[in-house]
Amino acid sequence: MSRLAAARVAVTAIALAAATVAVFLAPRWDKVGDIKGAQMGVYFIALLGLNIVTGYTGQISLGHGAFMAVGGYTTAILVADHGVRDLWTIPIAGLVAGIAGFLVGVPALRLSGLYLALVTFGLAVAMPDILSWDKLERVTHGGKEVQLFGKPALTGKGFADVSILGQTVTFTRAVHYLTWAVALVLLVVAWLLLRGPPGRAFRAVRDSEVAATSSGVNIAAYKTFAFAISAAYAGIAGSLLVIAVAFADPQAFPAKLSLTLLVGVVVAGLGSLWGVLAGAAFIEFLPDAAVHVSKAQGVPDTVYGAALILIVLVLPTGVAGGLRRALTPLTTRLYTRS
Amino acid sequence: MGRTLLLGVAALLALGIPVAFGSSSADPGITATSVHIGGTAPLSGSAQAFQSVAKGAEAYFKYLNARGGVNKRKINYEYLDDQYIPSETVRQTRVLVQEKKVFAIFNSLGTEHNEAIRPYLTQLQVPQVFAATGATTFGRDYKQYPWTIAYQPTYIAEGAMYGSYIRRTMPKAKIAILYQDDSYGADLIKGLQRGLGPKAGNIVARVGYAATDDNVQSQIVRLRGSKAQVLMLFSTPKFTIQAFQYVNGLGWKPRIFVNAVSSASNIMVISSSRGQNKRVEGAISIVFLKDQNDPKWARDPGVLLYRRIMKRYAPSGNVKDVYNVYGMSAAFTFADALRHAGKNPSRRSLMTATARLNERNNPFLLPGMSIKTTSTDHYPIDQARLQRWSKGKWVSFGGLLKARS
Repeated sequence: MSRLAAARVAVTAIALAAATVAVFLAPRWDKVGDIKGAQMGVYFIALLGLNIVTGYTGQISLGHGAFMAVGGYTTAILVADHGVRDLWTIPIAGLVAGIAGFLVGVPALRLSGLYLALVTFGLAVAMPDILSWDKLERVTHGGKEVQLFGKPALTGKGFADVSILGQTVTFTRAVHYLTWAVALVLLVVAWLLLRGPPGRAFRAVRDSEVAATSSGVNIAAYKTFAFAISAAYAGIAGSLLVIAVAFADPQAFPAKLSLTLLVGVVVAGLGSLWGVLAGAAFIEFLPDAAVHVSKAQGVPDTVYGAALILIVLVLPTGVAGGLRRALTPLTTRLYTRS
Repeated sequence: MGRTLLLGVAALLALGIPVAFGSSSADPGITATSVHIGGTAPLSGSAQAFQSVAKGAEAYFKYLNARGGVNKRKINYEYLDDQYIPSETVRQTRVLVQEKKVFAIFNSLGTEHNEAIRPYLTQLQVPQVFAATGATTFGRDYKQYPWTIAYQPTYIAEGAMYGSYIRRTMPKAKIAILYQDDSYGADLIKGLQRGLGPKAGNIVARVGYAATDDNVQSQIVRLRGSKAQVLMLFSTPKFTIQAFQYVNGLGWKPRIFVNAVSSASNIMVISSSRGQNKRVEGAISIVFLKDQNDPKWARDPGVLLYRRIMKRYAPSGNVKDVYNVYGMSAAFTFADALRHAGKNPSRRSLMTATARLNERNNPFLLPGMSIKTTSTDHYPIDQARLQRWSKGKWVSFGGLLKARS
């Protein structure tokens, strides 16, 4: 069988598996609800972005929660203080966070590996304090809450119903749809980006900087580009998060959020776009599941940690890697590389 | 690869679009046999010590349900984890109201957290009852937020109790204050000044810190320079523990008052370095619950009931945790309000009942205390006693104090 045909079989198998999972989950979606569904979409977008820089370009970022904060606060301030319609703040938030990512990326990306991880983590730790800084009080409310609830620029101000294409839905559901619509667009963008020359350059940087340089890849430029793009994704995620909750404060973007995102990318499988769905589901629903196991003091955190260890042991290459491995026998049977 | 994308998109769409479900009725969450209420608590994260506030309440409702509930309705209290992060409180509260269709939000914990959800609950006319916070705004601003009521003594009331005690017993003493620079610290100072009345001029020094500060060493050094004989610690546990250490290290020997946020006996034990720091001895605070660890209440019916409920309905809980008693007390008062909200309670009649409380039999509060509210008094607990730290435990003294907020 030709290589092309074999690839087609593999692709169809993966798609069928995804469809099965979707069909299995769909009836349960009602119980999950719009609020958690939207939040999962937010994580999905942030993980897509983080995967570009960490999974495909091989640069560990522990600071993407900070870019979510930048995007989230851009939306919060524009909607609450300047009356900008929430929808229009989403691309603006992406742009602002992307610029922030670029500015951080230029100096930080001279570092790599653990040093880059530390610098970005420093950003994540500092972000709540930066947002609470007195000198920025006129812009960021100095750490006090920003309520978007009831603001006229928020679609469905008091969570009133919203009309989409002639259909009336609750605001919460509208945000749920909106989040996944944006997620879909960003997935396609990421896919197009990663299958083209930039994607090849990213992977080359990840696999061997020396080889990439000798092939004419401008390492610094591609690293910074990847960082800025992924920060923009995080910014859009933060923006949607703030719209969904209609509330922002520095505590919404703790250092822990950045760690959670990294967990999501690892669970997804570094360098896989499809695994991101599993990663997003994991970080959204595991805390609930952990509380479900037992509410006894200390247990939820322990269950969370134990589940993480288990995942890494069982699926060292993430959900996507596991799926790929499960399908390998099939594809090798169909064709062999010689 | 094109097909992967297409099919994946289809899968995503299937995931992203939920099945429609029916809309809600006027007052959800209540049937002839049940009342579904909800709240948030920090079940994970750094503030999880506070979670017993929810667990104690849950245990009491289970006990009550086993005895038929309230007017034959079982109370189903569902609390979700907010990790002590206000935006999570908002999210989880919306899950409770919009998706779980609860009748009321009860006993959610934290000042900023309750402030974050208040506009939302007000607009949707969902009761936010017995919020676990001492901020004065929850009792004072009922005209703007008629669907909200808190529970415990306010920080202003607490400060006033210290103030009047100092005015009566140490009218000449100079007073220094360490305070957290936010509404909580400001409310305590305001109350202290009110209680001191004409003696408010005795406050010779006050130094604030930000909640994000690392330590309060420089603040304590500056306060010591005032040569005050009384030191007020209007600070959260971490800074209170530090303050005791620094005061001791400087050889300063003021009479110390600790606000109730930081006066739980386990924190006092840490503050005193297990009895080695003598500055902690004789410290004064307020108390309004029966401290189950106090031998004085060993045979008290309320504490015996508490132990029975813990053993039967919360066997994995820490019996020594005072926050359990707090939760049970709040649950007792909720059941009381529900009982007075009529045979077929509505959200509105529940709020009316919370503004007409006259509860004298709460077994978890100190003897003689009553919970009384009126249409213009929205402060359920406004009484407390003073207590003094002596040989590793709190000993209450003096009679019941009442303070207006």
